[in-house]
Amino acid sequence: MTARPSTAPVPGRKGLFDANRLFVAACVGIPALGLLLFFVQPVAIVFLRSITEPDGSYGLGNYHRILEGARFWRVTGQSLVMTLITTAISVGAGFVIALALYRGHFRGKWFVRGAILLPLLAPSLMQSLGLIFLLGRNGIVSRILGTEIEIYGLWGLVIANTLYALPQAVMIIGAALVLLDARVYEAADVMGARPFRQFRDLTLPAAKYGILSAIFVVFTITITDFGNAAVIGGNYTVLATEIYRQVVGRQNFNLGAVVGIMLLLPTVLAYFIERQASRKSRGQKAAGILPYVPKYSPLRDIPLAAFSFVVSGFVVLVMAVVVYASFVTLWPYDLSLSLKNYAIDIAGGYDSLWITIWISLWAAAVGTVFVFALGVGLRHAPAWIAQPLQVLAAMPAAVPGLVLGLAYIMAFNSLSNPFNFLYGTATLIIAVNFYHYHTQAFLTLQTGFRQFPETLEEAGASLGANLGRLSRDVVLPFMAPMLVSVLLFLFMRSMVTISAVVFLSTPSVSVASFQILRLEDSGRTSQAAAFSTALMGVVILALLLLTLLNRVIASHHRAG
Amino acid sequence: MYLDVRDLTKTYGTFTALDRVSAGVDEGEFVCLLGPSGCGKTTLLRVIAGLIEADSGQILLKGADISGMPTRQRGFGIVFQSYSLFPDMTVAQNVGYGLKIRGAARDRIRKRVGELLDMIRLPHLADRYPGQLSGGQQQRVALARSIAVDPQLLLLDEPLSALDAKVRAELRREIHSLQRELRIPTIMVTHDQEEALAVSDRIICMNRGHLVQAGTAEELYLRPQTRFVADFMGRSNLLGIEALARVAPGLAAARPRDGADLACIRPEQIGLSPDPDGPARVRELEFLGNITRIGLDTPAGNMVAEVSGHSPVRPGDRLSLSISSEHCAWVREDAAAGAQ
Repeated sequence: MTARPSTAPVPGRKGLFDANRLFVAACVGIPALGLLLFFVQPVAIVFLRSITEPDGSYGLGNYHRILEGARFWRVTGQSLVMTLITTAISVGAGFVIALALYRGHFRGKWFVRGAILLPLLAPSLMQSLGLIFLLGRNGIVSRILGTEIEIYGLWGLVIANTLYALPQAVMIIGAALVLLDARVYEAADVMGARPFRQFRDLTLPAAKYGILSAIFVVFTITITDFGNAAVIGGNYTVLATEIYRQVVGRQNFNLGAVVGIMLLLPTVLAYFIERQASRKSRGQKAAGILPYVPKYSPLRDIPLAAFSFVVSGFVVLVMAVVVYASFVTLWPYDLSLSLKNYAIDIAGGYDSLWITIWISLWAAAVGTVFVFALGVGLRHAPAWIAQPLQVLAAMPAAVPGLVLGLAYIMAFNSLSNPFNFLYGTATLIIAVNFYHYHTQAFLTLQTGFRQFPETLEEAGASLGANLGRLSRDVVLPFMAPMLVSVLLFLFMRSMVTISAVVFLSTPSVSVASFQILRLEDSGRTSQAAAFSTALMGVVILALLLLTLLNRVIASHHRAG
Repeated sequence: MYLDVRDLTKTYGTFTALDRVSAGVDEGEFVCLLGPSGCGKTTLLRVIAGLIEADSGQILLKGADISGMPTRQRGFGIVFQSYSLFPDMTVAQNVGYGLKIRGAARDRIRKRVGELLDMIRLPHLADRYPGQLSGGQQQRVALARSIAVDPQLLLLDEPLSALDAKVRAELRREIHSLQRELRIPTIMVTHDQEEALAVSDRIICMNRGHLVQAGTAEELYLRPQTRFVADFMGRSNLLGIEALARVAPGLAAARPRDGADLACIRPEQIGLSPDPDGPARVRELEFLGNITRIGLDTPAGNMVAEVSGHSPVRPGDRLSLSISSEHCAWVREDAAAGAQ
């Protein structure tokens, strides 16, 4: 066989410093270090702290002391009562609205869908502000009726948290309903199943895991919510406000650690049950689904539509009244419009808004780069590294923001921590925002990566491209729409989150939602409304810009 | 050999995908890896490409060991069943990507891309995105992309399987003539024996991780060595020695002494003549257009014969059969292949 005289390949083994290996190591290593430093470390420290005795030995003394206190039980009881009522109402109403959206036939669904997105655009205390403007001592309703409604307390909290949690319940249950193919209903029709039977035998089982999952999500966000609890809770103390008072006010770190760990239990449990459930329902594929298009049926659709419009109307009303009140000269006495409330007259003014925008931009940018790098790296890392990292990267969702914030303050406040210098800096808030929402960002991109054909990388490799180059030229454009979604998600969440950052705000680095709390706390409710409206404006602007960007990306390529 | 593969073994847990496979490709040769799904042919191709690493064995290219070399340094062209064009690059950008990686000047890339698009007769689609192309067009672009960098070896992984019948035949001819023209040593994986027969200089037939038989298309079709090859390379009548003696006693006597004890007779090699006292009877006819397949009841059991065009016989007719010894191949059972 005559050898071709041209370019003979260089014989060689894959060296330790092969360019691809270095690239993969960096892609996996840097985000993994981030997870260890900003997620594993703080959570581990809270845990250790909770079992550390005053003399430095380990034991359950802290738990004993706290569980013996009557106050702790009262607060926990109140939290559970409020959370269970909220969960029941939110999931029940959420199921009905999801049914209306995906199994009903009526006009104006856009309004319901839009209403459901609204609460994601503002901090969770927005609902409380709205309720105060409507039902508070100086609220419209109280004025008209001439009676005083006591909105501060359990029922105010239940309403505010329900309004906040309801959209998530609708979305989660709706996502489960979408998966049920129209052809299944057609088959049932052909077999002679009547509508109620179809509901019982097809719709309910399909929604089952969605409902379960919604219960856990709503339970978690409600029991750990800080914004509404602080604004409308009044004397009805719940765990979130109690922890804040004990840790930030009295430096009672032991109580913080113990309650933090205990708050972790239901959410960790929920997290694993939910994962189990989603694994079971994974048989259903999202691709190739024929959407169910219901025919008009007045007996079903009129009640469904009425309920949906009333509830989503209330969601919109509560938020709209905040925006309206922010432009009113003196609520509720002088309803002439003015910008007076936008002149924030406490220390800091709008500084925190700008700081929050910067923090959110950084959290979104760094976070997106990190999860993208991690996703690229995990595709090529050996299984013994990739598998545990997959699990770790999906774990932060099991830690409520409140606990994570608590963990950060304990970990980074300590002088013995070499990263103590981060305490009180914006960097730490950027980190807490990103790692708080790490799971959702990571999983969104993983879904994208799963659609990315492996052969594209193989084809690229055969053409001589190394992984770095391929990631830039092929993977990045492919993933662009999902990267924009993740960017937007991280930005929006960082803008409006309260529970994690409330522990890390300092006089010099204060975030917007914390400033709103301070405004409300000092009786400047209308200024709090103005600040909330400004904050929401920024979020909506970002939403519009990035949606536009995604349109451009989508229309540019793969058209036709 | 230009490419020499020696004793490659690859296992996944308890499953042996490749079991000491040795094979090769000569200068300018078109080789097909043929076998049913799961036989290891794609694994072999991917090991040669460097996309997976074998547990043991060697790959020599022009005498140099490239077993541990990463894919991107091997300089091979690969075409996949799924086209695998980069979705966010135009046709021209796809074809020129390999040259761009090599740092070629922009003018040179444009010129080369133009030549290649002319070659695959798609110059008018240069600025389209892959999503706007038909399957056949995409696969031609993928082919152009793989040969743009003058690969030392072209690897085709079931390149035609995703296409519909007509496009498949057309592209098959195109790949064949392109390879004849450029003389790039080529390995194509396929499970379609007709495809393999049509294009290859040599066929490597695989089953259960083993190389079963390698040879020219004629050799594999007319002189299969095992029952598996005989079965896989089209229809055949496989008769044991006793059965054969009942229909063609002369042939049975010519049996070789190497352990091959099954006679393989291709349906079109059976001569049929009407004979009221003949041993065979026509059971059924299957008219397939260009040929007619004839099911026969014979003393050796069911047999099948084929004649071109319309059948000269009717069901129930009695026939006598004639089979010449040169048209009878002797094959052995291949139970041993999987047993070890």
